[in-house]
Amino acid sequence: MSLLQDGYARRALIEALLVGALCGLVGVHVVLRRLSFFTMAMTHATFPGVVLAALVGVDLLLGSGLFGVLVVLGVSWLTTRPRSDSAAAVGVVLSAGFALGVALLSAQAGFTRDLSAYLVGSIVTVQAGDLVKTALVLAAVALTLALVGKELVFGAFDRGGMVAAGYPAGRLDLLLLLVVELTVVTSVPAVGTIQAVALIVAPAAAARLWSDRIGPTTALAVLLGMASGVVGLAVSQAYEVAAGAAIVLAACGFFVLSVVVAPVVRRRPVPLGVG
Amino acid sequence: MSEPTGPVLLRFDHASLAYGRARVVEDVHGSVHGGEAVALIGPNGAGKSTLLRAVLGLVDVVSGRIEVLGSTPARARREVAYVPQVDTLDAQFPVSVGQVVLMGRYRDVGWLRRPGVRDRALADDALEAVGLAERKDDRFGTLSGGQRQRVLLARAIAQQPRLLLLDEPFNGVDAVSQQALLAALRRLQDDGAAVVVSTHDLALAHLACDEVCLLNKHQVAFGPTEATLTPELLRAAYGGQALELAGDSVIVAR
Amino acid sequence: MRYLLEPFGSPFMQRALAEALLLGAVAAVVSVFVVLRRLSFVADVLTHTVFPGVVIGFVVAGTSGIVWGASVFAVLSTVLITVLAGRSRVTEDASMAIVLTGFFAVGVVLVSRQTSFTSDLTAFLFGRILTVDRQQLVVTAVIGAAVLLLLGLLGKELLFRAFDPAGAEARGYRVLALDLVLNLVVALVVVAAVRAVGTVLVIALLVVPGAAGRLLSDRLAGITLIAVGTALLAGWLGLVASWQASVNHGLRLASGATVVLVLVLLYGVAAAIATARKVRA
Repeated sequence: MSLLQDGYARRALIEALLVGALCGLVGVHVVLRRLSFFTMAMTHATFPGVVLAALVGVDLLLGSGLFGVLVVLGVSWLTTRPRSDSAAAVGVVLSAGFALGVALLSAQAGFTRDLSAYLVGSIVTVQAGDLVKTALVLAAVALTLALVGKELVFGAFDRGGMVAAGYPAGRLDLLLLLVVELTVVTSVPAVGTIQAVALIVAPAAAARLWSDRIGPTTALAVLLGMASGVVGLAVSQAYEVAAGAAIVLAACGFFVLSVVVAPVVRRRPVPLGVG
Repeated sequence: MSEPTGPVLLRFDHASLAYGRARVVEDVHGSVHGGEAVALIGPNGAGKSTLLRAVLGLVDVVSGRIEVLGSTPARARREVAYVPQVDTLDAQFPVSVGQVVLMGRYRDVGWLRRPGVRDRALADDALEAVGLAERKDDRFGTLSGGQRQRVLLARAIAQQPRLLLLDEPFNGVDAVSQQALLAALRRLQDDGAAVVVSTHDLALAHLACDEVCLLNKHQVAFGPTEATLTPELLRAAYGGQALELAGDSVIVAR
Repeated sequence: MRYLLEPFGSPFMQRALAEALLLGAVAAVVSVFVVLRRLSFVADVLTHTVFPGVVIGFVVAGTSGIVWGASVFAVLSTVLITVLAGRSRVTEDASMAIVLTGFFAVGVVLVSRQTSFTSDLTAFLFGRILTVDRQQLVVTAVIGAAVLLLLGLLGKELLFRAFDPAGAEARGYRVLALDLVLNLVVALVVVAAVRAVGTVLVIALLVVPGAAGRLLSDRLAGITLIAVGTALLAGWLGLVASWQASVNHGLRLASGATVVLVLVLLYGVAAAIATARKVRA
């Protein structure tokens, strides 16, 4: 395949596979805990972190990662206060973050180009160093989820029971949010903000339609995440369209296919809500 | 209890209800006259809420019939008022007690128009009837649970219904509010309206209701309170979750 | 005071101000409902699903086609989202997120086939309030009037449904239809905002004013007044800030983003006041 011919295409492919796997792993928990809007807000709120990191000259992953931690802590605090409306609070944070990032960026030259790159990603300009970073993050996240995966599922399903059983439910929640944030920060350079949400949510949501057990769902989510990357890149090359967007459409396509085909194959109706 | 004086306002004719293909309540049969109060009693999941929703025309009647005010549930809905359980509502919502009661007039006011003088008067009278006129401008959520339930009843009264349906209105309600609710219901009955109230409280049913419908996915009994709230029938309805004490006292597990 | 009026000497700044005030006021009223019904995510989804319509409209008919394309997609996605949300008792955030990203990706794909990709994308997403013309003002005014009319006529039913959906259904109101109307109203605001602040920043106008109002008031009238006031103030001060920054300090700050930042700052002030009240009480 011509995908493997050029150096940059090869790197793009590897990055797509790594990001797809990473997002699939994390996505299962995001879908389980209904954190899609929160993830969306994270991608927007982290934006100024990327801009600041670029301004200061710090490594983007590190800089935006640190900023991301602050954002997660802030939003966590906002949404756990008693009389708060979390939806509105998340909306405010989303708006604030993005506007701040845009304002900061607009003060620089090259405004529109950088902004586009952040929004829609630029997987084809990925360097070897970025691949290594993504691979390391994937390994770290995979390890973390392997260690606390069952507890996270328990907490998603029955938080009250978990607290009663003596688990530090609050800290586990926070850990997951940080893992999501790390995933977002790693994926955004490849596929862009909004598309990162798609890769996190769509493959996992599709996988959820095929299996009711966490193990197979996770495996399928990872597979679909990677497949979306491959299909997306191929389409992007063939039809000369933005790679990040093509990858997203591939992921959404798998979801729609699953909505239609899975109930038939599994021989029972599936509610459109995937949990 | 006095003899039923009014016309039949609600009639169940061997009605069975279903959600989609699943039958949830079978063979309800009986009638409710104007001026009467009927208690709907049964364990959780017995179909009490479903039956109330069917009277509103929101659940399919797959066999038999439900006749409301001489017509179909959907057509009669204008004169049927429904009082939901108060804890389904958001206590933080920025709406005042007076505004909630006025909502009962909206359907009659109609689309595109604003409530008029008469509507506001009816709403004020309804609030008076439940004894909360002085709280009219307070935010709904600042009232106690029992008081909020009374406000919801006032909203229904403002509608000037001929049939009133209440979904477990006495759950967790303080004594003062309970008295106020019962007094308001009594006044409605005296004006000729019929009341159907689902409840777990057997003592209340004895006190306030002329008839009882015992339900557990199918009708166990439908008749005058004294004759229906017997240990055998209650045990049949609660399926072994009823505990008989000395004599005729029965404790019923929810 | 001179400082605050200085920027608005030129016609283009005056138009920008008019657009900001008009749009802000209308969006603020809608935002009260968005906050009461917890529709922040739905509103966010709608801002993204309108995007491909914007691109298609632009490709087919240039800048004047944007509003038409946006309107078509606004209606389509409103129906889709209302049906999706109505299918299960809880808003299915995963399906919503997928609809949002899928539609947005379609828009990006379409834009990427243009040569002026990046600048077009930025304009659609972030608007160019300083290039608003008379025609756009008229569009905003017309849409604004339609939105306010709808909310005025159906306000009491929308309120009833927001407060007590079960009671509203029992009373014979079709909740799905009411939801469709409100979602459509949100989508219309997005269409009106496209040229001025773009699809990405309009979410701020649709959430923050109402949220600020809710912090400071317990009555619908109060919340609405505060929301509108906040939005108007943010529009004015935001434009002043970006103009002054550019003219007096050589700092080019995107106007739309500056308005949003001021809006969020005002929200912060509201939050501080609300906390102070609670502490004193």
